[in-house]
Amino acid sequence: MTRLCLVLLIGALVCAGCGGHAARPAPSPVARADDTHEYPSAPPAPQTATHVTSTATEAIRAFVTAYINWDAQTVSDDMRTLAARSVGQARAAMMLAAAQTTGDYELQRGGISNSGTVEAVAPLVGHDREYVVVTRESTRATNTTAYQGLQPAWHVALATVAEQRAGEWVVSDWQPEN
Amino acid sequence: MGSRRTGGGVAAVGVIGAVIVAGLGAGLLALLTSVFGKGSECGAAASPAAGIVLAAPNTGTGQLVGATEYGGPGDPSSGVIGSSGADLLEQPDSYAELGGDTFQTATAMGGLPYLTPLRITWGARSAIAYKRDIGLGGSSIDGLPRVLDLWWQLAGRLGIPYEDGLWSGPVRIQRPPDTGAGSLLDQTAEATPALVAPSTADQDPATCAPAALAGVPITTTDRAQLLPNGLAAAPAAAPLAVREIIAAGNQIVGKPYVYGGGHGLALSDVAPAYDCSSAVEHLLYGGGLLPLTYDAPSGTLESFGQPGAGRWVTLYASADHVFMYVAGLRWDTHNAAGPGDGSTGIGWHPLIRSDAGFAARHPVGL
Repeated sequence: MTRLCLVLLIGALVCAGCGGHAARPAPSPVARADDTHEYPSAPPAPQTATHVTSTATEAIRAFVTAYINWDAQTVSDDMRTLAARSVGQARAAMMLAAAQTTGDYELQRGGISNSGTVEAVAPLVGHDREYVVVTRESTRATNTTAYQGLQPAWHVALATVAEQRAGEWVVSDWQPEN
Repeated sequence: MGSRRTGGGVAAVGVIGAVIVAGLGAGLLALLTSVFGKGSECGAAASPAAGIVLAAPNTGTGQLVGATEYGGPGDPSSGVIGSSGADLLEQPDSYAELGGDTFQTATAMGGLPYLTPLRITWGARSAIAYKRDIGLGGSSIDGLPRVLDLWWQLAGRLGIPYEDGLWSGPVRIQRPPDTGAGSLLDQTAEATPALVAPSTADQDPATCAPAALAGVPITTTDRAQLLPNGLAAAPAAAPLAVREIIAAGNQIVGKPYVYGGGHGLALSDVAPAYDCSSAVEHLLYGGGLLPLTYDAPSGTLESFGQPGAGRWVTLYASADHVFMYVAGLRWDTHNAAGPGDGSTGIGWHPLIRSDAGFAARHPVGL
């Protein structure tokens, strides 16, 4: 009889303990972040480019033409526009460029501008949706002699495209190599 | 082919060039001296190294090197086709990289790729030139390593007198800034090679500084002294560049502080007002450590010269401010150290201030 009471008492305590634990509030996002090292949040909304083209090469040509033709007064807005017209890493890179050029003292004071043409866009062999882009660019400055006498130069970049919807191509990755 | 002539004739060119230099004597020496300030002193201070290490693009004041001239009607054996295959008459903005005893060792500037641009300055003239040729090296020129051969038309553009391909002398070379949107927007995959400063023996700025400004007070102490009138006295034992920096500072002591003041002008000008970076740059120009047209904010000076404190000159730069110590005396645009720190304007300040948050830099050799 005594043993039976003891068992029942322990059982009651265990049940009470479980019930009490279940009643505790869920940990806060910060507490969860402490455990998982990742703050819980909703996944980001899918990015949508404001401007798409019907082919990959058209998307790249349009993107690169805007990327290499700007002056100190327009470069921030141009990069912001390019960010809106691209997705992924390319968008992040353009947003960063827009932010950095806004306060770029040397760029502004030097009156620096860049211009050029897209000379070639070719698929990168063995890499789906990746392209090699060749440009020929000139850098000029109105308030510094640093660029005086420099001839136009060849530049190479790697571009990756994504299909936003069927037949809607945008640049998703942009990596100038030189 | 330019390189063939350069290789075959380089020893003769060196000997004949030396004879010409010696023969012309004081006249040519005076010309070189007038063109390069203390060019002969620079030469004496520089080591006769076989080559140089080019600094990163658009940094510092460039490097003095030994150059020769080739091609033209008085030097028909050089031909007109560079080793790159380029017709040098059609592309006269050309130079050849020299070095060693074979064409494989023509790497006195590190073996630059063809078409590498260099800004080459002789006297008051400068031009961008592209590597389209190579050649053999030779003995040093005025104590400077012989590293490049100037196509005669390029030399002409620089105002170098044509001596049938036999001219030799010092020129200043500098890599121009990187171009193209990727570089300008700091997005290229490969960053510009890090600055590898030449040894102080190769390029001692103290000996390459412009002529000292007259009237700088001198003290026999080891450190610069703040005088009652706000000017600074330079230590007699300080290198010439340090005395020139102090002299340049004395030029603008007491000028009002205006954000953006002093920018957009040649550094030789005395502006009505300065901000921190333009004031520091005026002094560095005075010491021969910046080119005449250098114009940058304080953040850019975070990469000036070499890291750490210098023996005579130390800059403390951040994105927001820059100040410096010259021979122990602080140059600043306000009395950051509080009461007793001198004037609130631009000038020399007697107290040491906090350098927290600043990058310490110093000129090579100082």
